[in-house]
Amino acid sequence: MSVQDLILNLHRFWAEQGCYLAQTYDLEVGAGTMTPDTFFRVLDKRPWRVGYVQPSRRPDDGRYGENPNRVQKHFQYQVIMKPSPVDIQDVYVRSLRSLGVALDDHDLRFDEDNWESPTIGAWGVGWQVLLDGLEITQFTYFQQCGGVDLSPVPVEITYGLERLEMFLEQKDDIYDLDWSADVTYRDLRFREEKEFSEYNFSVASVGMLRQAFGACQKEAARLIEKNLLLPAYDMCLKCSHNFNLLDSRGAISVTERVKLISQIRALVNDIARRYTTAKEGA
Amino acid sequence: MEFLLELLTEELPASHIRSALDQLEAGFRKELTAARIEVVSLRTLATPRRLVVAGDFAAGQEDREEVVTGPPLAIAKGPDGALTPAGKGFARSQGVDENLLEAIRTPRGEYLGFKRKAKGAPAAEILKDAVPRVLGALSFPKMMRWAESPFRFSRPIHGLLCVFGGTPVETSFEGFMATDETVGHRIASPGAIKARRFAEYSSELEKSFVVVDPEARKRTILTQIEDALAPLKAKVYPDPELLDDLTLNVEHPLVVFGGFPETYLSLPLEVLSTAMRAGQKLFSVVRDKKQLPHFLGVADAIADGKGLIRKGNERVLRARLEDARFFWDQDRKVSLKERAAGLKNVVFQEKLGSYEDKALRLKKIVSYLCDKLKAADIKAETIEAAGLCKADLLTEMVKEFSGLQGRMGGLYAKQEGFPAAVHQAIYEHYQPGSLEDASPASLAGAVLSIADKMDSIVGVLGVGIPVSGSSDPFGLRRNAHGVCKVILDRKLRFSFPLLLDKVLAVYGDRLTVECGAVKAACLEFFGGRLRFILEKRGSRYDLVAAALGPGLDQIYDVLPRVEALDSLKSSPQFEPFILMAKRINNILKGLSAAKVNSDLFVEKEERDLYSTFAIIRDNAQPMIARGDYVRAQGIYFKIQPVLNTFFDKVLVMAEEKKVRQNRLGLLQSINKMLLEIADYSQVVVEGEKPAKPKAPR
Repeated sequence: MSVQDLILNLHRFWAEQGCYLAQTYDLEVGAGTMTPDTFFRVLDKRPWRVGYVQPSRRPDDGRYGENPNRVQKHFQYQVIMKPSPVDIQDVYVRSLRSLGVALDDHDLRFDEDNWESPTIGAWGVGWQVLLDGLEITQFTYFQQCGGVDLSPVPVEITYGLERLEMFLEQKDDIYDLDWSADVTYRDLRFREEKEFSEYNFSVASVGMLRQAFGACQKEAARLIEKNLLLPAYDMCLKCSHNFNLLDSRGAISVTERVKLISQIRALVNDIARRYTTAKEGA
Repeated sequence: MEFLLELLTEELPASHIRSALDQLEAGFRKELTAARIEVVSLRTLATPRRLVVAGDFAAGQEDREEVVTGPPLAIAKGPDGALTPAGKGFARSQGVDENLLEAIRTPRGEYLGFKRKAKGAPAAEILKDAVPRVLGALSFPKMMRWAESPFRFSRPIHGLLCVFGGTPVETSFEGFMATDETVGHRIASPGAIKARRFAEYSSELEKSFVVVDPEARKRTILTQIEDALAPLKAKVYPDPELLDDLTLNVEHPLVVFGGFPETYLSLPLEVLSTAMRAGQKLFSVVRDKKQLPHFLGVADAIADGKGLIRKGNERVLRARLEDARFFWDQDRKVSLKERAAGLKNVVFQEKLGSYEDKALRLKKIVSYLCDKLKAADIKAETIEAAGLCKADLLTEMVKEFSGLQGRMGGLYAKQEGFPAAVHQAIYEHYQPGSLEDASPASLAGAVLSIADKMDSIVGVLGVGIPVSGSSDPFGLRRNAHGVCKVILDRKLRFSFPLLLDKVLAVYGDRLTVECGAVKAACLEFFGGRLRFILEKRGSRYDLVAAALGPGLDQIYDVLPRVEALDSLKSSPQFEPFILMAKRINNILKGLSAAKVNSDLFVEKEERDLYSTFAIIRDNAQPMIARGDYVRAQGIYFKIQPVLNTFFDKVLVMAEEKKVRQNRLGLLQSINKMLLEIADYSQVVVEGEKPAKPKAPR
């Protein structure tokens, strides 16, 4: 099974569970959780089921294409089910079987792991799912997002596509994965990893990034005042990515780090609060 | 009758399971005792998905006699002994025959009343209410909501099996009606199972690949480990905590034995075992204290016939070790000295500055300590170690495996060729991590460990961050335990208040709280920690309080002081001595200081007492100075008979003021001498009510 088949399979499986299949969001994000299809949709009362592929950018994880496991951009398959179905663990296990994993021959574990993203004021309780010791999924009952208590509670299932595919293809090197019948992961991503690692660690202009961070932050605040919450949130995502780049350039001290994250979080929490108040008022 | 309860949930964290089992046992015992249901036996078991209570309870409450009281006798009966309307009304309202009424004697007087047999309720009735109460009271360090309910628990609940005497209890919890059904292993046999007795429950589960008894699972794991290692004549590196956690992480344990390429054996042992344990919960395999290129994991599976579980774990471990080797190689390209320069960008605490500031302070504190401990031979090395000890916070390895902080710095320093005293001090300076952990083996390590912890404690308290209840964000309790343990283990004698002065002076004007207040707070904090440590070692709380009475001038001395009290507490001289000390203490309470003048003695007995006191004091002083409190205490005992005679023959509160003041002055001198060993007034002796100590934390 290629990466492409894996995605098609997951699409089909989760569509059958009633998920709407969203398209990848067109901004750089650190995790699928951060896109509006999750962030805004978990805030209100309306039942919501969605599945989508989202590239996740973590500049600090770049290894110039030299590490068989770590990359500065990987792909997540993100599922949100709100409210969390009673049998969601069983459904998830079925999704693995549907990918052809003969679970009777393996060790599947739900291992305590509580997820949080301080940048968007979100946290949840759950597990990392391990398959023969390999972390293939983050499974989280979302408790808070944008500082808002979530009710009903959504469950978030995030598959790490490359990890899962390495397991399915029994390969030790991410670049050896087949994306499709005749295109490999190396073909698609190797040069990108090399160049972006260079950029993330050594070339990105710290001055430009700081300026961009400040500009987006200001813009977010201005848009919040005008109650344009979705564009304001986009600005926060840009802040977050600029922050990650500054961090991988080694330009952020530990204190500053805490300060900048809390600045983004303050904006995001404000957006979430206004979004839910407006909804409830309507 | 047999009671069986299983709460079926999604996978619970091991720490939550342990806490829940304690709460369940205590909760059921409390409910049943309060309801007068005899508990013949009660035990708890668990798997990651099940909290189980199995017991044997009486079928019902015992019948008992109940006394019902009504109005006071004076109101209920007339002077003729006949019932008044009030008395008749009481009988009517209770539906009791008037002939059965009698006078009931109470502490408040006599009342009209009667006795009746109360029929005991069946235990099933009691359990109906008790079960949801006990389950509903379970609490966890981190709780969650799910779906649409506001109810919070450790993880979502899926079912409640609850049977008593072979019949399901008519109860429910959070919408789950109690049944006699559960399910088997999530992957291997997820179908439904019926069970009405524990034996049946346990055997049906076993058929469905769930071993419900954690002890049985642990035995299986240990046996399988032994079997796997026997051919190699190797041993598993003992890790009881990991074993306990894994036991609670699986329903059907299967030990998986795997290997990794020998080239990774070039990595330090610390790195190998952390990579295995922290990331993947794997056991290391050793032979003759040497790491072998093997590991042991515990899977939740029936068998690994195709070796897929082993291969999967090997692949993951290899990737981890590859990362670790990358960090090890990268980190060694930059010397610790160069790296330490970067510490100015790493904040220790907002108001206390960076780790570079901390390192500078540590240099001054260890220099002071080496002087006080007369350790000139290691002074230069300890100062060098102090400057470098935090540099490893900036290494890739410590960023990945934070548990290796300190040890990594030591290993890198050794690679760079620093002298043993330097790299060992760096390696050991976080030790001991807890009271159970070993103290640093080297003196330089011990000095640096104390300095590092004292710097944190004084600094954090000095910027007004208190330690209270569960709030101890900087782990100051752990730090203080570390300081005390090192001092006690190594028998280090130095003035603790002067060390506090030194640390305060090194901080200078950084601290926001006034110096005197910080010092007082530190002394009080350490007093509390020492009390906790000594009581944990098994000393009686009142003896500990007494030994702490003289203060913390020498932290180490508190230990021999309490040991002296401990070893002498059963001697025949002890109790009379304590009573005498208390008597002095009571007489002197609240009096201002007075002086003794031997010319003012009137009676022979006070002259005798004075000379005995002087002899005892002169003899005991050198013993106390060298910490020999047992012998000093033995000599102290000798003052008791002389004092007794004094109290018998001499009136302390003499009419003449001069004489009275002089006698009080003599007693004060004696009291002051006694306080060199202990505040004996804290000791509780036979026939006294113990003053309950503050609960130690």
